[in-house]
Amino acid sequence: MKLATAMKVNRLTDVVWEIPETEKSDMLVPARIYGTEKVLRAMDAGVFEQVTNVACLPGIQRYALCMLDGHWGYGFPIGGVAAFDVEKGIISPGGVGYDINCGMRLIRTDLTLADVKPRLDALMTELFRTVPAGVGSKGFVNLSRRTFQEVMQKGARWSVKQGYGWDSDLAHTEEEGCLTEADPEHVSEHACQRGMGQLGTLGSGNHYLEVQVVRNDRIYDRHVAEQFGIHGDDQIVIMVHCGSRGLGHQVGTDYVRIFEKAMKRYGITVKDQQLACAPYQSPEGQNYFSAMNCAANTAFANRQVIAHQIREAFRTVFQQSPERLGMRQVYDVAHNIAKVERYEKTPFLVHRKGATRAFGPGSPDVPEPFRKVGQPVICGGSMEMGSYLLVGTVQANKESFGSTMHGAGRTMSRAQAKRTVHGATLQQAMAQRGILVKTVSMSGLAEEAGIAYKNISDVVESVDTAGITRKVAELLPIGNIKG
Amino acid sequence: MGKAYRFRDEIVLGDLAFEATGDSVSELFAAAALAVIEAMVDPLSVETSWTQEVRLSEAEIADLLFEWLNAIVFIKDTEGVVFHDVRATVIRDSEKNPWHLEAVLIGDRVDATRQDLRTDVKAVTKHLYEVRQQEEGAWYAHVVLDV
Repeated sequence: MKLATAMKVNRLTDVVWEIPETEKSDMLVPARIYGTEKVLRAMDAGVFEQVTNVACLPGIQRYALCMLDGHWGYGFPIGGVAAFDVEKGIISPGGVGYDINCGMRLIRTDLTLADVKPRLDALMTELFRTVPAGVGSKGFVNLSRRTFQEVMQKGARWSVKQGYGWDSDLAHTEEEGCLTEADPEHVSEHACQRGMGQLGTLGSGNHYLEVQVVRNDRIYDRHVAEQFGIHGDDQIVIMVHCGSRGLGHQVGTDYVRIFEKAMKRYGITVKDQQLACAPYQSPEGQNYFSAMNCAANTAFANRQVIAHQIREAFRTVFQQSPERLGMRQVYDVAHNIAKVERYEKTPFLVHRKGATRAFGPGSPDVPEPFRKVGQPVICGGSMEMGSYLLVGTVQANKESFGSTMHGAGRTMSRAQAKRTVHGATLQQAMAQRGILVKTVSMSGLAEEAGIAYKNISDVVESVDTAGITRKVAELLPIGNIKG
Repeated sequence: MGKAYRFRDEIVLGDLAFEATGDSVSELFAAAALAVIEAMVDPLSVETSWTQEVRLSEAEIADLLFEWLNAIVFIKDTEGVVFHDVRATVIRDSEKNPWHLEAVLIGDRVDATRQDLRTDVKAVTKHLYEVRQQEEGAWYAHVVLDV
């Protein structure tokens, strides 16, 4: 099988490939794609086209990157990582995505499969009731406009202050769940209106809440796993995948429009309208950064409220306090975001779109409990095949702007998945395999079938070989709430 | 030919791309709107208890379609509705913003127990976005939705 591109792709190592800057006019740096030859050959033409478009953006540093789970997105490829000079570089909503701070949260428990299996149906029913999902779903948190502004500024800290979570959750969240430089003044009225009623909701598409089990034979680094609160023995954990909902989607929409006009003033041209951008230091660039941080904080607040609802559902079903059930947060990490980070003392504006921060041991940005081993990295696979807990490495800090994969990566379109699988049939088949699925949308369920994704274990093996994260534990699904 | 739309599943794997066509601009706007609506719900499963008028003006036809599709996404979130049908009329005049849309969205409050809900549309993107009049006079648009 040939590659899906005619561009020259040079092998740098068994898992790193480079497209030289001579392959497209205006490329300022090479493009690098992570993956084994098998993973690379499975990538669609859009990945090669889009990662080389990113390599043309003003101020890009070293190389445009695409992670192993990369696939055709809009603007950046999904799995795209690019770092820009903070003085002369740009910022682009196309490098963040519309679902700003879409991310993953993992909560561990002291429960085992034996404890949960007899009550799994009741648990999934309660979770489905208390964590709204799907098109148009509304959350239980009623906010005034002023309070919503506080959510945008304080993020998960606001949620915890309201009683939706524990103080220790914040230490186990990227940036402690609150990005500074978040001024709601730069968020439009439209964006506020869209986001107001959605706190505590999952959304739809590939967003989900999953109850998972950690088997002893699927722990690959027991020392690191124990630092993360994972000990195996059929331990139950809960994973959440969602983002900033309508607020973030509208911030992205607003600023793509603003940047289209601004680009003319700044004399910037791009190879895809969705790569609309502005100089990071320009008023437009700074306003987007501030609005994006507001949306990112809202996403942290959203996942925090959902974590609270999860704990309450467990309290109801198991008739024990979440504290007694050991429901501590492992970590919460973004995979759609732009942040200023320092590498070898130089600040860069790092865009991650479908890529996860993966800081290694010793990094001051890694929370104290994990600083000796590295940052937890949560990668969601498909709802059939399972997910992984990984750990960041020093090599990631040196080589990939502290970034790694975020999931399995699609290989099949949504329509093709629906033609191949029926939602109701899939739900029954998964139930027979011990995975209970509650969904708002049967067609949405079919779109997220395991066959639509790469085998996450192949992707994780590749990333482990590449050295930009190491695998810690595999998390196998037993229950899934799907929007 | 009339109004028509077709989802393209050979590109943009995780999201939704579609082509829409119409013999007139009005038909194009109705067809593109129906594609966005159908991404989110089976329109036949939605009642017609709710309506809302939408009026928009833009200098460029591509901007008007973009704003129109975004308005549908915005109204879905803020009103908590999904849609059954749409009526759209686009006219051109010589004022500052020569393209005008007058449309009516018809639908109902979201209710997963009664409606066949599909995937939430997060945004209308500018990736491979195109609106043009074809040589034979019909109108064509290519749109990628973030879902």
